[in-house]
Amino acid sequence: MSITSSRGSLLAVLSIAVIGAGVVIKAQKPVPPATPSAATKAAVAFVRYHSPQEANAALITINKANPAATALHRIATSPGGIDLTVLEIGPDVGKKIRKRPAVFVVANMEGVLPLSAEAALSLADRVLADASATKSLTWFILPNGNPDAATCYFRKPLIADERNASKWNDDMDDQVDEDGPDDLDGNGLITQMRVKDPAGEWMSVEGEPRLMRKADPAKGEKGVYKLYSEGIDNDGDGEYNEDGPGGTNIGITFPHLFHPWTATGGRWPGSEPETFGIMKFAIDHPEIAMTFAFGATNMCLQPPAGGRQGSFDATAIKIPEQMASRFGADPGRTYTMKEVVELIRPLAPPGFEITEGIVASFLGLGAVVNPMDEDLKFYKELSDKYKEFLKAGKLDGKRLEPPQPKDGSFELWSYYQLGVPTFTMDLWTLPEVKSDDKEKTGMTPESLEAMTSDAFVALGETKIAAFLKEVGAPDSIKPAMLLEGVKSGKMTPKQMAGMLGQMPKRKDTAGADPKQKALLAFSDKDLQGKGYVNWTPYKHPTLGDVELGGMVPFADTTPPALMVKTLLDGQVPWVLTLAEKLPRLSILKSEVRPKGAGIYAVTLWVENAGYLPFPTAMGKKNLHVPPAVVTLATKDNLKGVTFLSGRTRTTINAIDGGRSVKLEWLVQVPAGVGFEVVLDSANAGADAKFVSLAGGQGGAK
Amino acid sequence: MRKLHWVGTITLAVLVASSSLALQGQAQPATPTSATPKPAQPAKAGATTQPAKPAATSLGVTTDKITVPLRFDHYYTYEQVGEALRALHATYPQLTTIDVVGKSEEGRDIWAMTVNNPKTGAALDKPGVYVDGNIHGNEIQAGEVCLSLLNRLLTTYGQNEQMTKAVDRNAFYVIPSVNVDGRYHFFSDPNDPSSNRSFRIPKDDDHDGLIDEDPADDLDGDGNICTMRRKDPFGQYKTDPEDPRLMVRIKPGEKGEWTILGEEGIDNDGDGRVNEDGEGYVDGNRNWGINWAPPYVQAGSGDYPFEASGLRAIAKYLVDRPNIIVVFAFHNNGGMYLRGPSTKAEEPMNPADIGVYDIMGKNAEKIVPGYRYLVSWKDLYPTYGDFTDFTYNTVGAYSFVGELFVTETESYRPPPKPGAPAAPPPADVMDMMGGNNDRERERLKFNDYVTQGDLYRPWKAFKHPQFGEIEIGGWVKMSSRLPHPFMLTDLVHRNASAVLFAAAQTPSVTLDVLAPERVDADLYKVRVRVVNAGSIPSFTYNAIQRKIHPQDTLVVSGAGVKVIAGGKVSGMPIETVAYKPYRPEVQFLQVPGNGKIEFEFLVSGKGELTVAYQSLKAGKATKTVALQ
Repeated sequence: MSITSSRGSLLAVLSIAVIGAGVVIKAQKPVPPATPSAATKAAVAFVRYHSPQEANAALITINKANPAATALHRIATSPGGIDLTVLEIGPDVGKKIRKRPAVFVVANMEGVLPLSAEAALSLADRVLADASATKSLTWFILPNGNPDAATCYFRKPLIADERNASKWNDDMDDQVDEDGPDDLDGNGLITQMRVKDPAGEWMSVEGEPRLMRKADPAKGEKGVYKLYSEGIDNDGDGEYNEDGPGGTNIGITFPHLFHPWTATGGRWPGSEPETFGIMKFAIDHPEIAMTFAFGATNMCLQPPAGGRQGSFDATAIKIPEQMASRFGADPGRTYTMKEVVELIRPLAPPGFEITEGIVASFLGLGAVVNPMDEDLKFYKELSDKYKEFLKAGKLDGKRLEPPQPKDGSFELWSYYQLGVPTFTMDLWTLPEVKSDDKEKTGMTPESLEAMTSDAFVALGETKIAAFLKEVGAPDSIKPAMLLEGVKSGKMTPKQMAGMLGQMPKRKDTAGADPKQKALLAFSDKDLQGKGYVNWTPYKHPTLGDVELGGMVPFADTTPPALMVKTLLDGQVPWVLTLAEKLPRLSILKSEVRPKGAGIYAVTLWVENAGYLPFPTAMGKKNLHVPPAVVTLATKDNLKGVTFLSGRTRTTINAIDGGRSVKLEWLVQVPAGVGFEVVLDSANAGADAKFVSLAGGQGGAK
Repeated sequence: MRKLHWVGTITLAVLVASSSLALQGQAQPATPTSATPKPAQPAKAGATTQPAKPAATSLGVTTDKITVPLRFDHYYTYEQVGEALRALHATYPQLTTIDVVGKSEEGRDIWAMTVNNPKTGAALDKPGVYVDGNIHGNEIQAGEVCLSLLNRLLTTYGQNEQMTKAVDRNAFYVIPSVNVDGRYHFFSDPNDPSSNRSFRIPKDDDHDGLIDEDPADDLDGDGNICTMRRKDPFGQYKTDPEDPRLMVRIKPGEKGEWTILGEEGIDNDGDGRVNEDGEGYVDGNRNWGINWAPPYVQAGSGDYPFEASGLRAIAKYLVDRPNIIVVFAFHNNGGMYLRGPSTKAEEPMNPADIGVYDIMGKNAEKIVPGYRYLVSWKDLYPTYGDFTDFTYNTVGAYSFVGELFVTETESYRPPPKPGAPAAPPPADVMDMMGGNNDRERERLKFNDYVTQGDLYRPWKAFKHPQFGEIEIGGWVKMSSRLPHPFMLTDLVHRNASAVLFAAAQTPSVTLDVLAPERVDADLYKVRVRVVNAGSIPSFTYNAIQRKIHPQDTLVVSGAGVKVIAGGKVSGMPIETVAYKPYRPEVQFLQVPGNGKIEFEFLVSGKGELTVAYQSLKAGKATKTVALQ
């Protein structure tokens, strides 16, 4: 890599870039575990961003200060040598089987969203500070799921690169990682290069020459520029920056809708230690009842998107021709899963059970790729509540929509394969630019023409200013000037309309990328222009005269550090609210009816007192969440007890939020014997109750 | 459940493809009747008699010391596979290396043997042929095929011309047993021919919150998991009139005699089902990181790709050996050579690669009688996370699954009438379903008169804790999917020969630099011809299409020379050169099978000119010419 220039406007790196000091760790003495919160209220101060190494150091600090209430799990080491450290907070620390449900929180899987790692650290603080948050819950918090990429923000030149440090030959030539971007003008930023080129597809946006858009040949437009990322052709192959250092974007390496053979997806789902470690951790902890990801997407706001083609549909199965004749089926129509099972059942060998699973597997029906309707119900309700929450915190300003989860992302994998409620939060996007909507004032040059002078004066300065902006009047025309003119009778609205018609119109910014537009507006208004580099001429060794400029990396995703605390305080607590919605199973009540001859009918109601279903509809489908189990025991190992119906061990596969299920037994029991009833589940809580058979009604717990 | 799933799949495959898969239809869990007096205590409390010692019942197991040349009239236990590899290595230390690729869930070593002659070059510089077997723990003869291949290569090196050439020209990487825990337990534990397929990763197959709590049980202690039946006037079966060991389904109006209760075992966990959650189930051939799907889509997938530590280790082993261009993975059974893709969604396969597959597949059909060359998803059934899809799409190797053994070869039949086809009639679907006992009757006679009763246990009375008076009998562990040891030698040799044929097709690339033609003062035209004498191209077409790995390179260099232009020669009959606009001294190429590719360079200067060909899979070659 060579940096060939020292000229150019040496723009200071954004104020949001790292300031340099180490983690701010308050010197605290360890305190008894009973009140862990005081010790770690602020393992980091949210006045700047923290590198993944600093975040790991902060976790160690937290752990040292709270040895009984916290634990660290190093679940992987990235190719760049940084640990993926999960902080565990909760009362089950050190236990092999954790009885309490757990929330698994990951952050910055994309690697280029330092704000999300701050949110994870902030959540850790909040959980430690709030005793009720760990009363019946375990928290697993991973602040950096893609730590190699996360270091980008803390290095120069600044570039937002989602890949980890594994090596990958992007252009499949004879060298690896040989042609990355270069900071040609030495401003510490990798921006863009634009080059006048007859084959160029790009042109400046008329109203905002800093922005570029694609020329539209259908409108007779012709491109002027070619756009490149900043750099030289290091390996002389005619391509620019086509094989920079780095390999895999952890954010797209999970095995739901994984795409093979992409430049940044890795060799296979979980090929990277980061992804593998996260998957293994999640699978090895069946107590995980919910996952949460701070990152690019926002499933708190936006329920998971459906409408994807090719989803498994058990109501419309087509049977391929070569199979259809064997089954006596019509390949031209669709069948329900039940119908297919019925078709095949008579052909199976004696006693052989044809299940839906066998049929699905054999017909290659594939995985579910659209969210289940029942789950969308709680996503929608919680999204509405979240919007109210944001409104109350005055964080509901119009901003750019966060993107939908990417194929291969952690959150899609979690929803579809772990089968637990999965939420994500993006925390910040650029404020939306007020649109150039012409209908806002309801005025047009034509209506102005028909207006009386009095009516015009009555409009007032603000509305006139808005109208002038709408019609694209030059800035030199001020509303006050016009009002004065009309009031004094020097001009009529009709004259004014004519005048406006002759004025050179201010160009609009149609065609510009909304994100770029938003960034530019935000940069001009809130970053003193430092979010965007104006195009500056540069003499490129192979491309000749080029201009360097464009968006500053991270400026679109990473707000100034001063904003961080407000953003975290206003949004992160929602995670704690969501955790309160988890399913909670308990024994609601029991009933005993003596039938005579020592025979009793025992009925038990098990309740899900939580809001969320046990498990999600997707969890019912994928069977990943273990069932809850009710076990009946007696003091002397069921001696003399005969189960006429029902068994000692009864599984419960599902209870929706706020609902209960009824279990029934018919038992013959020696006199004086009662049942110890134990309810157990992997991730929805446990309960126990003694049911006496003597009194008819169940005794106290 | 485990077996239920795969037998079910096979069953459906049989229904559809009418393939000759040997089907043991005894895998059905049965439900004890409501009259069951007492539920069993949970978790194996009711486990009955001790398993018999394997030597007593494991047909074809030897206690002899393993010596070179290896014998194939017996099966090799896990430990004996290790002994065999060590014996080969001790005899041929120069030509072999043994690597421990990784460890299994239970801590056993997974061994790989490399056969390479270092005198003819480093292994990585030769076309690699990877062969494994026994990814399903019960499919043991796959290991013997691997050992047979090694034995053949090594013991005839220097004597047999073809074998000498193979050892000198190729690198062979052989892992005889992938599922080492499965192999160990298949020999040492009571099993049926289909059990112990799984990796030893405990899973809750029946979704009851307990793990591996209700496996089959060897009730009579004979080392085999056979079938249970009970006298039942309301049953759906009666005794076969021709062979009383068999049962036939009753016709409407007939009186029943038997109920088939499924595999030998009890309801260990008292849930009313028998043998519904045995070891695993994680299927080694569903857990690879290619087109993987979760277990609700396909039983045995594992919870994530490469959950099995041994497979993860083998994936790394493969990725570290990018020279591998041919892969064979041996299984049993049915007599098939399968190529991918393993799911319909992965179609279409690159047509040029199909042409290459056909060369090897169509020959394999002829090398091994009764075997058919088929497409995995279409002709058998779809599989996600499939090994050979992984090797084709990630390693870039032409990859086959060999399904060893055809039960039709267990024959007891009169010679064909003149003019009639010599081959046995294709198995009827109803045979497999148990509705027509002709095949079973023949197999029993084969058992009686050709194996002297080795393969079948006659029905014997047994008092079952839940079912009461029952009978246990049927095909033994070392039957059905495995050839009787007397047939093993032929099976292993023929299938190893299919691999050797493929190895002989691997690319064999040579380089010719035609005499430089002087076109001006100090300006030369240099023609380079790269020739492949193998019928397999220097790497797959799929690798080009999907950018799986870098292409071959041809690099022209020299101290006193500069490459002005260079490019591939194409176009017949009038040749044109497609000059590469950048870095003309480095050309990227694939050399087609039995073909050539030519390049032309315009070079200025004087002195020595070096042309270097380098391929991930087809080795390297260098030529030097003088410009003067």
